This record gives sequence, C-alpha cells and structure tokens, in this order.
Amino acid sequence: MKNWEIVKGAKDFLPLEAAMKRAFENRAVETFTRWGYREVITPTFEYLEVIEAGAGQGIRDELFLLQDQDGRLLALRPEMTIPIARIVSTRFRDFEGVLRLFYNANIFRHAQPQMGRYQEFYQLGVELIGASGAMADAEVIALAAEVLKQEGLEYKISLNHIGIFNNLLQHSGLNESTRNGIKQLVLKKDLVGLKKMLSGLPMAPELREVMLEMPLVYGTPQVLNRLEAVKEIPGVQEAINELIEVYDHLAAYNIQDDVVIDLGILRGFDYYTGIIFEGYSPQLGYPLLGGGRYDNLLAKFGPPRVATGFAVGIERVLLALKGRNCTPREVYEVSGNDAAAVLAKARELREQGLIVTVDLLNRGGDGEVVVKRRAQR
Amino acid sequence: MNPEQLTIALPKGKLLEPALKLLFDLDLPIDGVNDKSRRLVFDFPDSKVQYIVCRPTDVPTYVEHGAADLGIVGKDIIMDQDKDVYEMADLGFGYCRFVLAVPEEKADRPLTDFNYQRVATKFPRVAEAFFRELGLQVEVIKLHGNIELAPRVGLAEMIVDIVSTGKTLKENFLAEKASIAECTARVVVNRVSYRTKYRVIEPMIRRINEIVNDGSGRE
Repeated sequence: MKNWEIVKGAKDFLPLEAAMKRAFENRAVETFTRWGYREVITPTFEYLEVIEAGAGQGIRDELFLLQDQDGRLLALRPEMTIPIARIVSTRFRDFEGVLRLFYNANIFRHAQPQMGRYQEFYQLGVELIGASGAMADAEVIALAAEVLKQEGLEYKISLNHIGIFNNLLQHSGLNESTRNGIKQLVLKKDLVGLKKMLSGLPMAPELREVMLEMPLVYGTPQVLNRLEAVKEIPGVQEAINELIEVYDHLAAYNIQDDVVIDLGILRGFDYYTGIIFEGYSPQLGYPLLGGGRYDNLLAKFGPPRVATGFAVGIERVLLALKGRNCTPREVYEVSGNDAAAVLAKARELREQGLIVTVDLLNRGGDGEVVVKRRAQR
Repeated sequence: MNPEQLTIALPKGKLLEPALKLLFDLDLPIDGVNDKSRRLVFDFPDSKVQYIVCRPTDVPTYVEHGAADLGIVGKDIIMDQDKDVYEMADLGFGYCRFVLAVPEEKADRPLTDFNYQRVATKFPRVAEAFFRELGLQVEVIKLHGNIELAPRVGLAEMIVDIVSTGKTLKENFLAEKASIAECTARVVVNRVSYRTKYRVIEPMIRRINEIVNDGSGRE
C-alpha cells in the first residue's frame, strides 16, 4: 500500500462534484421541509445489536464492524431507517400523532472488492411515522417522485405490495427452508432457477403458475387480474386492494402516469410489511430510490408504531443528471497594492452577494484597485 | 439509454455461434457479426439494435450497469459473479458441468479427507460455496487457465472446473469426485431496462422461450 491510496470503494468529491451534490441536497431538503419533514442527525455508528435487531443477522456480512475500548461491537450504519426507528422509540416514546422526519447521511456497506461498488455512499430520505393507510403511502411516494421531477429527470416509479408475495409463500404449504430458497431465487431475480425449483415441488398448479409469472407482472392495475387464481389465499385480496387504493391516490398527485404496478420488485430488507416501491430513470442501469412500509420495525425498539419512508441514492441521481442542474458561477477577483482599499472593495462586492476573492499572488500595480471577472474553475 | 434502441452483449468464443442463430431466429440482423475482427460494437440502426461482442466474463458486468440491456452468457459465469441482473431464459445450448476432480488414485476417499486442503479453480466463489455448504474448509487458489495441471505440479490437491466431455480430466489423471452444478447459456436482463424498455424486451423473452421450448425458429 502507498501512503496516498484511497480505500477501495471510497470516493473523494472534488469541488465541482461536491457543488453538484450540495446543490441537489439543498433542493431536496427544501422540498422535504415544505412538506413538513424535519431533519434528524444520528451517530455514524450504532451498537451491533441495534442494527441486527432491525435488519436481522443476515446483514452482518455487509457491515463494517469496530470495537470500542470496552470490547463492545459497533457497526457503521448500513442504512438510516433503523437508527431513526431507534430514535423514535426512545426519544419520541410518548409522542402521539404523526412524525415526519428526514435525513441526509453517509451510509456504509462492506462489499467484496471485485464487485466495483461503493462502500461509503450518501442517502437522502424521509420517514413518516404514526400513519397507516393509503394516504400516508401515497404521500411518501409522491414526495419521492417530486424529488426526481424537480431535477428534470425522466423517471418511473414501480409499485408493489410485499403482502402478495409473502402471503402466497406463507400459505403455499411448503416448509420454511423451501420458502426461504424460493425467496432467495426471487430476490436474486433468477427466474430460470425459480422455474426449476417450483416444477419439482408439491404445490397447487395455479399457485406455481402465479409465482412464476409474478416477477414479470408489470403495467396498469389491470395486470392484477393475473392474480385471479390465487386471490382466495388469505391476505392476498387485501394486499391487492391496498395497492389499488394507493395507485388511485397518486392520480390526485398528478403522477399516476409515472407509476407502474410492478410485482417484480421485492426490496432486500426483511422489515417491509406493505407497499414497497422503487424509482428508475432510463439514464441509469440501477434504481435511484426505494422505500416502503415497515409496520413492525419500531416494536423491536419500543412501542409498536406504523411507518413508511424512502431513501434516494445521491450519487445515483448525480450520475443520471450527468452534470446538469449546476451552472458554474462567476468569481470577482480584486487586485492592487493598497491592502485596505482592496479589502474594502472586496467587502463591498460581497455585500452585493457576489463571490469575491482577493488576489494574493500579484500585489503590484500603482495603487489602483482592479476587479476582474472570471469563471470559477 | 434510448428507449427505442436495444443493446445486446454477446460472448466471444464457443457460445457466439448458437447465440447468433438465436438472434437470427428472432428476425434480428446478424450480417458480419463475428469475434474474429477487432470490432467490438456492431450497430444496426435500421433494426434499432446494437451488439457488443465481449469476453464472456464481462457480459454480466455490461448488463448490470446498463451498458447493455440484455446479454447472453453461460450459467457457469453467472454463478461465479453474483451480479444484480434478471436471469430470464434458459437457452439450452452451451451445456457444461461444474465438477470437483481429484487425482485418480484418491478418487475413492471420502470428501471429508479433503478438509483443509487446497483447491485450484477459475471459479473461486463456486468452489467456496460448494465446500461451505458441506461444512468443509479449503484454501481456494485462483488460476486463470490450465486448472487441470495444478494437482500434477503440487499446486493443489484438487480442482473445481467446468467439463463438457471429461476428456481433459482423463488426460491429466484426474477423476470426478462430485458434480456441483449443470450449466447452460442464459439470457440476462438489466433490471431498469426490463422496465423502461418493457414493450420491446417482454415480447422478445416470450419469443425466446417459444423458440427454445418448441424449436419454432427459422429454418
């Protein structure tokens, strides 16, 4: 290792990139604020038990772990929903009503070096706590859409309800390890493997057919008719109804044309319980944002409370924007050999709201103050 | 990514010919597409399709990042990479198997005898996952070719490799100890392209499955 090396999967933001990042964050934060969301800041690390209580032990492979002087294990936060669930359950324990919180944070996930993924990245997101129902789900989805829309990005939101898949699996009559196997294949999007596995299992043929076709169900709510054969299964019809209700609310937000029913998305975290969604742009090969309802997570830290939320990947939005939405600003440089006059001029221009630098390298001249305008490099 | 235009990643080597036959069956242009010239990108603007002919191991990477909307690649490569792509169709061709092979004279020993020994392979993830499932620990030595030589020169006690006929194993005095997985060529699709280009990709996958299942391709 050379002493100037940067950790694999970590990134420096140079002034231009940092400015683009900051500009996007400011616009998103402004929108969150106008919708009544308030910022919270949590520690970069948490006790390992906190993270595992929220995300399950399967998360451990993805964690950066450290040890404090007392020998306790700490983890760099791999996402922000769990720390916020912890805050709400402790610091807002007696709060009644609806809480609207947002965050802007760096996130850490350990990845195999050959994967070419960032191990530290940035997320902006909101959590809406204490409200169930389609109005709450629609608010969070509409806010996510707004953040992409105000950047001028072409985008689509994919909408699903995790209850459909979970209830089909739960009532399939298959044992737990088989159900986990199926879930893994669906999460890995290995539809060939899924077909091979299901064809050898003792299950109702119509259920098998639906489970095979589900990852491909995509379109307007009419596509939900393809679940006709399984809607008697407990919980399935309720989930379908909730999905349609949220979709209908999104019409009132004027974004229904950008939303697609998509039974192929199943988010990675186990804590989701209801509506889930992801946002895409044709400019980028991976999702820009994702989120959903997690009604059982808060009970792991304190009083049970329903909740929903989303996170947007800041670097991903910047990639999709390809340098748009950030105009280079002009700088005024003040030179001259009379320091008092130069500084007075600089102060005057700054008070007008201009960006002003003092020329530190060429202090010559005949006492006159010179102001030059140039583009910021 | 232009929503009209489709970019397909194709693997150089032995899978290219059956892959081109499939594209031909789909009524897509294939004139002049080959892996012999130095050309990597073949563009057919009239048919709104473009091919990237690349190393087989790079196909999942092109597709995961959306540089290609879909790709054709062997399951052996998919298994060793764990990329975030949809695996949407089994093409049936390009059959091979992952096997664990050991020197012929050790072929009768139980697998547990190989605990804590060294295994040479081009596919470290597949090898590691196989032994982890069995509760055995081995040292995986990654090589880029001529895996079958490793036991003879004392580099490893066993190998994990792909075989199609088993001839190479025999020539190097190796015997198959366990079959790990069977592999054929697959169609992989980028998770965003599948959604933003649904109108083109969805019918194409349906057609591919028809061609593979009932041989309804062009004569």
